[in-house]
Amino acid sequence: MDFRFSEEQEKLREEVHQFFMENLPSDYLPRGTRGQTLEQYKFWMDLQRKAGAKGYLTPGWSKESGGLGLSDMEQGVVMEETSYWGAAWPGSQGIRVCGPPVHVFGTDEQKRKFLPPIAKGEVIWYQGFTEPDAGSDEANVSLRAVEEGDHYILNGQKTFITAPGPADYLYTLARTQDVIPKHRGISLFLIDAHSPGITYRPLPTMGIFTVEIFFDNVKVPKDRLLGELNRGFYHAMVTFEFERSTTGAAAGARRTLQELIQFCREEKRNGKSLLEDPSMRDHLADRAIEMELTWLQGWFAAWHFSQRDKLGSPPPEAGGLHNKVVSADRAKQLIDSMGLYGQLRRGSKYCRYEGRAAVSWEASRSTHPAGTIEVNKIVLAGRGLGLPRIPAKFNKEIREAVEER
Amino acid sequence: MDFTFTEEQEMLRTSARDFLETECTERVVRDIMDGDLGYSPELWKKIADLGWLGLIFPEEYGGAGMSVIDLAVLYEEFGRALFIGPHLSTVVLGGMTILEAGAEEQKKDILPRIAQGERILSLALTEPEGSWDSRAWDPEGVTVKATADGDSFVIDGTKLFVHDAICADAFLVATRTKEGADPADGITLFLVDAKSPGITITPLRTIADDKQAEVVFDKVKVPKASMVGKLDGGWAPLHRSMQVGRVMLCAQMLGAEQRLLEMSVDYAKTRIQFDMPIGINQYIQEHCVLLLREVSGARWSTYLAAWKITEGEPSDFEVAVAKAWGSDAHERACWRAHQVHAGVGYTVFDGVIPLYSRRGKTFQLYLGDTAYHKEKVVKELENWPALEEPKGKPLGIWEEAPEFWVPEWWPEFEATNKAAQGG
Repeated sequence: MDFRFSEEQEKLREEVHQFFMENLPSDYLPRGTRGQTLEQYKFWMDLQRKAGAKGYLTPGWSKESGGLGLSDMEQGVVMEETSYWGAAWPGSQGIRVCGPPVHVFGTDEQKRKFLPPIAKGEVIWYQGFTEPDAGSDEANVSLRAVEEGDHYILNGQKTFITAPGPADYLYTLARTQDVIPKHRGISLFLIDAHSPGITYRPLPTMGIFTVEIFFDNVKVPKDRLLGELNRGFYHAMVTFEFERSTTGAAAGARRTLQELIQFCREEKRNGKSLLEDPSMRDHLADRAIEMELTWLQGWFAAWHFSQRDKLGSPPPEAGGLHNKVVSADRAKQLIDSMGLYGQLRRGSKYCRYEGRAAVSWEASRSTHPAGTIEVNKIVLAGRGLGLPRIPAKFNKEIREAVEER
Repeated sequence: MDFTFTEEQEMLRTSARDFLETECTERVVRDIMDGDLGYSPELWKKIADLGWLGLIFPEEYGGAGMSVIDLAVLYEEFGRALFIGPHLSTVVLGGMTILEAGAEEQKKDILPRIAQGERILSLALTEPEGSWDSRAWDPEGVTVKATADGDSFVIDGTKLFVHDAICADAFLVATRTKEGADPADGITLFLVDAKSPGITITPLRTIADDKQAEVVFDKVKVPKASMVGKLDGGWAPLHRSMQVGRVMLCAQMLGAEQRLLEMSVDYAKTRIQFDMPIGINQYIQEHCVLLLREVSGARWSTYLAAWKITEGEPSDFEVAVAKAWGSDAHERACWRAHQVHAGVGYTVFDGVIPLYSRRGKTFQLYLGDTAYHKEKVVKELENWPALEEPKGKPLGIWEEAPEFWVPEWWPEFEATNKAAQGG
């Protein structure tokens, strides 16, 4: 048992830390804005390129792919520093979600074409999974891809697609075969975002910005199929493995907590420091405990993932669920501690704490990205603890029986 | 980073589990709870033979020189098996304090006898007045006076909620020997023979049936040589062994929770109602999944604290986090196990769920509950250094966009898209 990082890891951490210290402006306010101004977006895009040039976006990728050829643990260290500063990479989806499966399942040509630009911070990917009828039931994808000569023709719709910047590519799940079980007829495609026939419609949420995407006879060349035909759902599961091993959450929480403590030190309430307020103390303690637990569970998952050849799949752990469950409490406690002022947005007269309570409260109304709390519980119960579930073959019968009533 | 246990730790875990499954059965546990002593002398002798009473002491004092992490592994198994006995009082709170602060003769005299199972200690710290709140575990709460009288001291006052008082050979008593601005300065520890004239022990009836007691010291005269550590300097060593004790309580709760999780999942899979296993019901699944959450949180917070202590690093924050999380998480874990088992988990004469939740109440309260340790966590936060700010040129661009629902790059994206599509 050892909770220390190696000397090399500490050195890398310090390097990345210094990178942000030098490149972030002294008046930087991490988090707390929702809709980006053009200036903010451009700032992040520039910094993303700078980080990419140093290999800090994808340190765990091979050098040919634009990474530093380091291990998963070093990747975790860099991710931790990046999240500590709340770096809002417009290319985050490519870096974290779309790139890794290309690494695993892509042809050499696909790897050459797609990975280096992600690593260099030059492109923005969207992950096109969710559809109106495929939310929690991801296998119910109905965006249809039909083979035609050396192309696939795509028709259908995606929705709630996270859009951290203007897209260059879409990493998309589409139905290539009607089959039971449904997840055996799905394939993954790497699509040019500007292909003729694709239209976008903004779908802003209370938190992150998302879009709807419509496909009207969109031609996708066959060499844009990722991995095996009809195996896309299984390939995508790999994505979830990569997402699982995140070390960033606790680091972001640490910075937020430090900022909150700083705010409490400076803020007076009824002539006393806010740090002396009992409900604020309760809030701070809960944040610190959560942060610590999140840190441990995040690193346990990352460490286990890094040892996957030796250790196999990880034991059921509820780290991810824990983060989701507490995020709503966290925002509520913060906004409650600010009375009437909590509802004020940044820029408003009388606004305190840069309006962060309002933004984080609104953002916390959603915990659904990468699966709702409820779906996470179902998966953990079934796959993690082996609890029984109604076999899928009865689903239709149940639905019909319920509708009859 | 390395989240593995050593081979020796895995062996200790396996042998402890095997031994306790045979020797510390539900029947044995119930007999101890129903009895007057609060432990089983036969079982105590056996664990002495296994070396579990000296595990943490250096070899020169008859121990095995193992670490706090090793001890936590054993305590996890104690928790799982509902082990009941004066181990924490004797080995950790008593023994480790003497190991750190005691004179060489005291250590040579007492520690080997503890390791042999021939001497049981009990910590007399908490008092009636302080037991309502944080004073129970902070130096402010120590008011029972020890007054110098020639070559002796006279201890006068009442200690309450004293664990393992009934079976103890001696009390480690925290006394007030000086009043001053710093309440931690002026606490002196004495090792007092339990048979000393003037001591009256009255058992208390607790939820856990764990034989806590009121111990009244009525002008009890103790020789100066029975002082453990320095005059007025008893708090620091006692605090350090209490910190280890807190981690051990966390480990015990963790072991119990793991067992509760296994039992609940097992019951959910096999209990049939409405022609289906109840575990198919998502309300039941939620209890199991959230029980897993308590276990996941407890495991690494406990071992991080144990590791920090073992490495000799500052550990106050980690211990406070572990016990703050652990106490309430245990309450929730027991409650969820009750919910899954319903009536079957509520009967008194058979079934172990009530034994876990009743014992759990002691674990939660002892050495500080969640509220107490949350306050300790905040105390640590207050000492965090000022925030480090980045050094780049200020840009003045962090105001929120006036139309903040749709980002400002959107129109340009739409235009680019149209142009690229030739429209």
